[in-house]
Amino acid sequence: MSEKKKKDKEISFEDSLKKLEEIVEELEKGELSLDEALKLYEEGMEFSDKCMARLNESKQKVEKLTREENNKYKTEPFSLQNKDEDVNF
Amino acid sequence: MSSNQFNNKKVYSVSNITSHIQQLFKSDPLLQNVTIVGELSNFKYHSSGHMYFVLKDDKSQIKCVMFRGSNLGLSFNPCDGMGVRATGDIRVYEKRGEYQFYVMQMVEVGKGALFAAFEQLKLKLKAEGLFRQDIKKTLPKIPRKIAVITSPTGAAIRDIISVTLRRFPNIHIIVVPAQVQGNEAASQISDNIKFLNKVLPNLDFIIIGRGGGSIEELWAFNEEILAREIYHSTIPIVSAVGHETDFTISDFVADLRAPTPSGAAEMTIPDMESLVMNVSLVRSKLNRMVKYILELKEQKYFTVFESLRYQNPKSKIMQHTQTLDDLITRLNLNMKHIININENILNKYREKIITLSPKGVLKRGYSICFKIPERTIIKKTKQIKKNDNIDVMVSDGIISANVTERRSVNE
Repeated sequence: MSEKKKKDKEISFEDSLKKLEEIVEELEKGELSLDEALKLYEEGMEFSDKCMARLNESKQKVEKLTREENNKYKTEPFSLQNKDEDVNF
Repeated sequence: MSSNQFNNKKVYSVSNITSHIQQLFKSDPLLQNVTIVGELSNFKYHSSGHMYFVLKDDKSQIKCVMFRGSNLGLSFNPCDGMGVRATGDIRVYEKRGEYQFYVMQMVEVGKGALFAAFEQLKLKLKAEGLFRQDIKKTLPKIPRKIAVITSPTGAAIRDIISVTLRRFPNIHIIVVPAQVQGNEAASQISDNIKFLNKVLPNLDFIIIGRGGGSIEELWAFNEEILAREIYHSTIPIVSAVGHETDFTISDFVADLRAPTPSGAAEMTIPDMESLVMNVSLVRSKLNRMVKYILELKEQKYFTVFESLRYQNPKSKIMQHTQTLDDLITRLNLNMKHIININENILNKYREKIITLSPKGVLKRGYSICFKIPERTIIKKTKQIKKNDNIDVMVSDGIISANVTERRSVNE
């Protein structure tokens, strides 16, 4: 289910931006009733909110993964500061 | 005692002893003008024009240098993996205390073993369809969570993380440590790809890679076991090995080949700032458009409203009322005017009448005579006789009189 939800969001950025652009084009054509224009505007704002939400959705996290037995693993914060160790490419 | 013994021995400086070793090399005829066959490796063409490389076989290797003056006449472009036959002297590079082969001449004798293995595997995997473009997976435009399989202490991971976070800060990076050179490297990287596919199948993609190095150092990425694991991964794989000029089997099998580790981040991570800019631009355009449409509609509305107001029955009544009021005012004005005119006329006549009235005449001294008792006005002498009674009307009253005589006047 969360996969499905994720998929829904997945279309959002690219497609939301595209939808948003289409809406603007539609409005530019004119020939719309006030109701139609307002409805499109609302939709457009929704799509643009979705876009912004998508960009801010995840949090920055840099982790190092350590494997354990039986396909288990643990993670710990990873920082770039361990330069003291030998650089090994 | 033993220290005395030690003190009695001759003591050399580092350069003294090094120079002695150099003499040994120089005095050995075998090391002069010697020809060696081997595989080129770690080849570096320095900007000074000198070439530095290693000649090796499956057991040993020897450091080599070919100075600018010697290598100008080379008939081929040396590169790693190439088999060559080189002639020169073996000497000590005293500054470093290393012996090296000063190459004067070099010819190509065929591809080296590693190069041959690379070519062979490449052909084989290509024939099997592992490099097909149509099976390459597309990477999501905006990744949420990615993994990097590489050395946790290498330059590669530093480059990838810093470029990634610079471009798109809201991302989750999982560093999966693995050796990237040596015998274990290929199987460790492969195993980690398999593992990530099992435990983190939602990863947007995996970057495998390392910084630059010799063909031997990069060799893990040319191994079949890794190539097959990349092929089987359901998570898209980005191969980022060495420098732009290094091509590995991994590069061919991977869903995306990046020229360098930092290049991998540049290619796969979107620039958040420009994305935000894009959205804001379209958004403000949307706002402008709607504002414009609203203004347009408002204008139209007012036009219609005006004409509607004009046609409103109430407004007609108002207008008629006004016309009526206007008419009444005008009527009143006209009436007054007419009355005034008539009043004037009337006054004129009145004066006239006043002048013409008998009373006026009487005032001027005339009188009217009435025959009594008939009270008829006497206009002619014939109307009366002697002794008739008459009334004489003057301005302030009546004088009754008796006629004593009458005379007629002939005209």
